[in-house]
Amino acid sequence: MKVVGARLPRYDGVGHVTGRTTYVDDVRVPGMLHAAALRSPHHNARITRLDIGAAAAMAGVHAVVTHADVPLLVYGHLSGAGIPGDEPLLAKDHVRYRGQPIALVAADTVDIARAACAAIEVDYEELPALFDVRLGFDGDAPVINDTFGNWYDQYEGNLDVRQIRKGDIDAAMDAADLIVSGVYRTQSVEQVPLETQVCVAIPEPDGRLTIHTCTQAMYFSLGVVCSHLQLPMSQVKMVGGTVGGGFGGKVDTASDTLTALAARKSGQPVKWRWTREEEMLASGNRGPWHMEIIDAVTSDGWILGRKMLTIHDAGAYGRFSVYGLTKHSFHHTGAYSIPNLHFDGYVVFTNKIPTTAMRGYGVTGLSTAIEVHAERVARELGMDPYEFRLKNANRVNDTSPNRIAYEDPSTVEVLQSLAAATGVELGDGLRAMTREQRSGDMLPDHLVAQIGSGGGH
Amino acid sequence: MAVHRGKGLATVEYPTGMNQNGDPSQAWIKVKPDGRVDVFSGTADIGNGSKTVQSQIVAETIGVPYDWVTYDNSNTDSSPMCTGTFASRATFVAGNAVLKAARQVRERILAVASRELEIDPADLEVADGSVSVKGTPAKSMGVDEVAGAATFVHGELLTGDGAHLNPGAAIIDPTTGEVDKPPHAAISYAACTAEVEVDDETGDVRVLSLTQAYDIGRAMNPTLVEGQIDGGAVMGLGFGLLEDCYPYYPTAEHRGDGMNTYHVPTMAELPEIKNVLMENPSSGGPYGAKGIGEMSNNAQPAAIANAIHDAVGVWVTEFPITPERVLAALDAKSEGRSEPRREGRVVAFDEELSINSFTSAKTWGA
Repeated sequence: MKVVGARLPRYDGVGHVTGRTTYVDDVRVPGMLHAAALRSPHHNARITRLDIGAAAAMAGVHAVVTHADVPLLVYGHLSGAGIPGDEPLLAKDHVRYRGQPIALVAADTVDIARAACAAIEVDYEELPALFDVRLGFDGDAPVINDTFGNWYDQYEGNLDVRQIRKGDIDAAMDAADLIVSGVYRTQSVEQVPLETQVCVAIPEPDGRLTIHTCTQAMYFSLGVVCSHLQLPMSQVKMVGGTVGGGFGGKVDTASDTLTALAARKSGQPVKWRWTREEEMLASGNRGPWHMEIIDAVTSDGWILGRKMLTIHDAGAYGRFSVYGLTKHSFHHTGAYSIPNLHFDGYVVFTNKIPTTAMRGYGVTGLSTAIEVHAERVARELGMDPYEFRLKNANRVNDTSPNRIAYEDPSTVEVLQSLAAATGVELGDGLRAMTREQRSGDMLPDHLVAQIGSGGGH
Repeated sequence: MAVHRGKGLATVEYPTGMNQNGDPSQAWIKVKPDGRVDVFSGTADIGNGSKTVQSQIVAETIGVPYDWVTYDNSNTDSSPMCTGTFASRATFVAGNAVLKAARQVRERILAVASRELEIDPADLEVADGSVSVKGTPAKSMGVDEVAGAATFVHGELLTGDGAHLNPGAAIIDPTTGEVDKPPHAAISYAACTAEVEVDDETGDVRVLSLTQAYDIGRAMNPTLVEGQIDGGAVMGLGFGLLEDCYPYYPTAEHRGDGMNTYHVPTMAELPEIKNVLMENPSSGGPYGAKGIGEMSNNAQPAAIANAIHDAVGVWVTEFPITPERVLAALDAKSEGRSEPRREGRVVAFDEELSINSFTSAKTWGA
C-alpha cells in the first residue's frame, strides 16, 4: 500500500490557503438580492400582532417571508426516526428564545433588508422564561415546549426518560466498600466556524431551485428543504460540499430553507449571510449537560455499579437532542466495564437557543464527567490513577451498557502507550495487561456475568 | 501566592458512525478514456479532509496514482446519497462506499485488460496505473490503454458504484436500553495527560502540555490525523477553560457576540502537544480505519480538571474552569468548605450543585 497511509497533501489545500477556494459567500449571480432576518428580542413571549405591510411596501424590498409562506411550517430533524417535529421554521404566535427568526426580508441591499426588518410591526406579550434545567420539572415552571412540555416524553414505550438498566444496582450499592457521588455540569459552547451560516438560492427558469449551501450534510439538508417546501427531490439541486468549518453547527440547515422561500417569493436569486453576531447569538450551539454520578466501588478498586442522572439542556426545541441523549446513555460507562447500571436521562427544554450537534455530540461532556469522577474515586481509594483505570478498563467480550460485546477495545493499550510517552512507570502487572478477554485476577466474581457470548460484532 | 504545577489523566472512547447506525453513504466512479478516475460522492468536506481520504482509498483500491483521481462532491444532481459529515462517519461509512465502487472499477479494468492481453483476469494485477501479469511484470499495459480500449474498441464504460450501510440497531427494551445489534461501528480510544500551571492569586490556569495516545485503527493520512487531533486538543482546551455561550448563567444576558467577547483559544493559549498514534485495525473500516474526528476534543477537559486538582487540591466540576471558579474553589478550601460529605461508606461531592438542592420534583440519590 502506497497511497493509503501516505502523507499526501490535502486535496483542496492549495485553494484554501491561497484564498482561491469558492465558498458560498463567493457565489455571485446577476440580480441577486440580499436577505436579513427579523429575530425575537425576547426569551419567551406570545406574538399578538405581526404586520409586514409597511416593510413589504418599502422601495427595494422584494419579498417578506413569514410563517404564512411556509408550506410545511414544522418539520423535525429526527422525523425520519419517528420523533415528532416541534420547531416552526418561522415563529407564528410564540417566540421561545431570543434570536428566533420571525421573518426574512429579501431586498436590493442588506441595508434595505435590515431597515425593512425594523419596519415589521410586532406586538409581544412577554412571559416568564426558564434557563436552569434543574427547575424544569417543577410544577410551577413556565411551560417551554408546546409539543413535549418541559421534557421530552415520547421515548419507545411512551417513557419520558431514557433508561439503561443492567445487572442489580441495589446489590452493587449494598456490596460496595465506598459510594462516591459527584455532580458535573458542562456548558454551552459555540462551534465558531470561520464561515458563518450562508446560502444563495436561485430560482431556475425550469422551476427548479439551485441552493448553494454550507451544510455538512447535503442530502439531509435536501430532505429538510424539500419537506418544508413540499417538493420532490428532483426540484432542488443542492450545490456545496466545500464548507468553511462546521464542527456540527452546519447540520441544522439554518439558512437554506428560508433563503429558498425568499427566492421563490421574489422570483430572484437571494443571498442570506449571517453576521458573526447572529452566528454567535442565534445559531444552534453545543448543549449543556447536567450529570450526577454515584459509583459503588470496592476498597481494592473495582467499580461494582454506577447510578447516573443526566439532564440535557435542549434549549427551546428538540432538534437532535433525543439522539444526543440516547448516544450519551449508550456510553455512560466510558472506557470501563461496569456490570450494574441504573441510568436515567432527560431532555429538558429551556428558553435558550435550541442546542445541536457539536464535535463529540452527547459524549464530550460525558467523558469530562466520567474522567473527573474516576480521578476522584481513585484518590478516595488512595489508588494510582493508572491502576484504577487499567483495572476497570473494558476488555474483549466485556459487554457495553446495551449488552453488546466489545470486539477490540484499546483502553488498556492507549493507557500503556500514554504512560510510556510521559515517562510514567507502570508496575509489571499493569504493563503486561492486554485487551484480551478477562481471566484470572481480572475476572472477579462480580464480572463473570459481564462477559458476552463471545465475539461476532 | 504562588504558581503550582500539576498533571492529570483522562481516558476516552468514542464510536464511529451514527448512534444506532442506519446512516447510508453511496458513491459512483467513472473512468475517462485516458484512465483518469472521476469519483462522485455526496460527502461534504468540512475541513476534515474527506476529499483527500476518499481519493486515497480510490487510488489505492483501483491501483492508480493519487493524482489520477478527481473527486466531485459538489452537488446532489451528480452525486449519490451521503447522510453527511458528522458522527465521525466520513472516513469509515462513506469511505466504505467509495471502496466498494473502486473494487468494481478495478474488476472491470481487469476484465478489459484480460481480453486485450489474452490472460485470465485472476492472473492480472493493477498497481501504479498499470495492469501486469502476476509474476511476469514485463507483460503489462497501462490503465490508460485499458480505458482507451474499453472506450474505443469494446464500446464499454469503466464504472463502479458502491453503497455502505451499517444496519440500524433498534432498542428492543426501552426500560433497560437493550439493543438488537451493535449500535455503532468501530470504537476509537484515546488517553491524554495534561500538565498545567495554576496561579493561586489570579485563578489563571495555563496548560503547558497535552500528551495524547490514540488508537485510530489505521492512519489513512497521518498528516490529516495529526491535524484532527491537534485541532481537537485545542478545542478541548477551550471547552475546559475558556468558552461559554452563557457566561453569566443562569441569566442569559451579556453573551459574547464576537471574537473579541467570546474567548476561543488563540496562539497565546497553545500548549505543547505530543501525539502517539496506535494502529489497531478495525474489522469493518476501509483499510482498518476508525473515526477520529470528534473524539479528539473529549479527553482534554477532564485531564485539565484533574491536573488542576493535582496542582492546588480543588475540584472544579462546573465548566469552563474559569479563574473565578478556581478562586472560589480555593476560597472554599481555605475556609474548610471544600471537603465532600463523608458519612460511613458515602463520600458525597458537589451536593450544592445537585438537583436535590434545587427542586423536590425529582428525587435522586443512592
